[in-house]
Amino acid sequence: MRFSENGLYIERYIKCGNCGVLIYEKKDQQILTHDGVTYCSQWCIDWKIAREKRRQEARGER
Amino acid sequence: MDPVTINILESTMVSICRDMGIVLMKTAYSTIFSEALDFTCGLADMSGDLMAVADYCPSQIGGMPLLVKCCLLEIPTSDINEGDVILHNDPYRGGLHTPEHTFFKPIFVDRELMGFSVAIGHIQEVGGMVPGGFCGEATEVFHEGIRVPPVKIKKQGEDNVEVWKLLLANVRTPRVNYGDLRALIAAVDLGESRTVQVIRKYGKAVFRETIRDLLDYSERRMRAELEAIPDGIYGFRDYIESDGVDADRTYTIEVEVHKFGDSIVIDYAGSSSQAKGPINATLGVATSAAYNAVLHMTDPSIPRNSGCFRPIRVLAPPGTIVNVDYPGPEVGGNTETHPRIVGTIMGAMADAIPNRTMAAEGGTHSNLVFGGADAETGDFFICYDIAGVGWGGRAFADGNDAVDSINGNCRPTPIEVFETRFPWRVEYLAFDTDSAGAGKFRGGVGYTKQMICLNDEIICSQMTDRHVFAPWGLHGGKQGGLGATLILKAATKEWQNMSQAFGKKSTSRYSNVRITKGDRLRLVSPGGGGYGEPKDRQRELIVSDIKQGNVSLTGAERDYGYSEEQHEIL
Repeated sequence: MRFSENGLYIERYIKCGNCGVLIYEKKDQQILTHDGVTYCSQWCIDWKIAREKRRQEARGER
Repeated sequence: MDPVTINILESTMVSICRDMGIVLMKTAYSTIFSEALDFTCGLADMSGDLMAVADYCPSQIGGMPLLVKCCLLEIPTSDINEGDVILHNDPYRGGLHTPEHTFFKPIFVDRELMGFSVAIGHIQEVGGMVPGGFCGEATEVFHEGIRVPPVKIKKQGEDNVEVWKLLLANVRTPRVNYGDLRALIAAVDLGESRTVQVIRKYGKAVFRETIRDLLDYSERRMRAELEAIPDGIYGFRDYIESDGVDADRTYTIEVEVHKFGDSIVIDYAGSSSQAKGPINATLGVATSAAYNAVLHMTDPSIPRNSGCFRPIRVLAPPGTIVNVDYPGPEVGGNTETHPRIVGTIMGAMADAIPNRTMAAEGGTHSNLVFGGADAETGDFFICYDIAGVGWGGRAFADGNDAVDSINGNCRPTPIEVFETRFPWRVEYLAFDTDSAGAGKFRGGVGYTKQMICLNDEIICSQMTDRHVFAPWGLHGGKQGGLGATLILKAATKEWQNMSQAFGKKSTSRYSNVRITKGDRLRLVSPGGGGYGEPKDRQRELIVSDIKQGNVSLTGAERDYGYSEEQHEIL
């Protein structure tokens, strides 16, 4: 969540690309980027990659 | 850990939360609080974690920690003073949906912050496109009413008058809203003062230590429950028939439950991208629905607090129907999509824990909202009317008949109150024969309410579901009956749905239809899906259902192979 400089409104809503939690800039939260997407943790990046791989295998894709 | 103190303190706090709800019920102006009890009261610790909650509305129970934590990210505890009351309803900042207003008040003891008294209530009128908040055709949040970021509605015990004026200028029923908002504040006032008494009795150190132990205890109990479920990845899908805007699109709720060891990950990836219409769930709803499902499938004696949520991880990808991005509409996500998510999680777990899951329930609150100027008094009235549905059959019992959907725990407004407060006369209210899905344990029955308009004009909107996709059965059980909304215009003889009568894209989601004096409205609520093969149902139960009118002889013959001949012998 990126607030305006005066703090009166939100300029951009930021969410983790995997779990969807709100990420507040300038707060005590991790902000990671992978393939241009914002994530809240390495766990979420790893989970998303693993999920995609598992679903591709289930569909018979390599 | 002192188990006796934990038990006493937990019970005391739950009792305080119940009392908060009673104050709210007895002091509110609107029927959504005084009759339907569409609210939840709880106590949170300094970080926003739930310490205790009363058994009111499950939608709000699981959402409460996220709500309070999001507020505390914007208003740090260093800026919170004794006597402050913070208000918030923003669906994009941890909120559930626009009508759900959260109030919380800090609990100070000797100028030290010890936690928060919290009340969440569904304010029935929030401005926006339609009277009553549920605009079935909204395409952005701004259609759905006033959005309130975390603000102090009271500062150190004094009303923040500017906030009050802004709030009440944006709704159609300021007097009623004022009363309801005051009722919510009365609830958090009570929670705060009672909790201060408790902390003074036990001492701050004992209170803090006991709360820590209580949350750890709940976590251990939940982990033990999850440990007993076979490990694996369990998947299921269910569908939402329409968003009220894009008539040809159906929406998928997809769930994968990853159960390993003593924890669980609930992953919604694969669910539909967010809808144009107002069926999108917020992050708060997606989180709350996951907790709600798990609480329904585990030991109900586990104290409900943030400790029991720790082993549950929820993944709700943004921009989907389970985690709407700004400024997508969302009012129906909390009422319709929430129960659909819960049902989907239960469907996923049906083979792993067959004795703890149930077939699909009606999954809608009906959400008929209406308003207008009373022809006799001139006062503007608004009502949010909740209807019950049939719940799904279970491994050990039939589904509940005609009760509010799984995330509501609300009560339909009694007819006497309804007719006194609003210009309708209810002509008919009865269980619907053959609406329950057949099964060894049948689904709960739905019901029909028919009423005639007594006012010159009433503007109606609705956000309901199950007009197309019936509640599914489990393990051989049959699907439950569909819902419907029909209108018989005065001086006509043909009942029509909302598409036929008003050209609406959806029969279940529509906004601002004009009902006039003498028009009749008929609301049919869906029945629940059955559980287990119908052939395994006990004969005595079939006979009882026939006698009570829940099942017709024809239905019994069709679904259970029960003959009229047998019935005559009996």
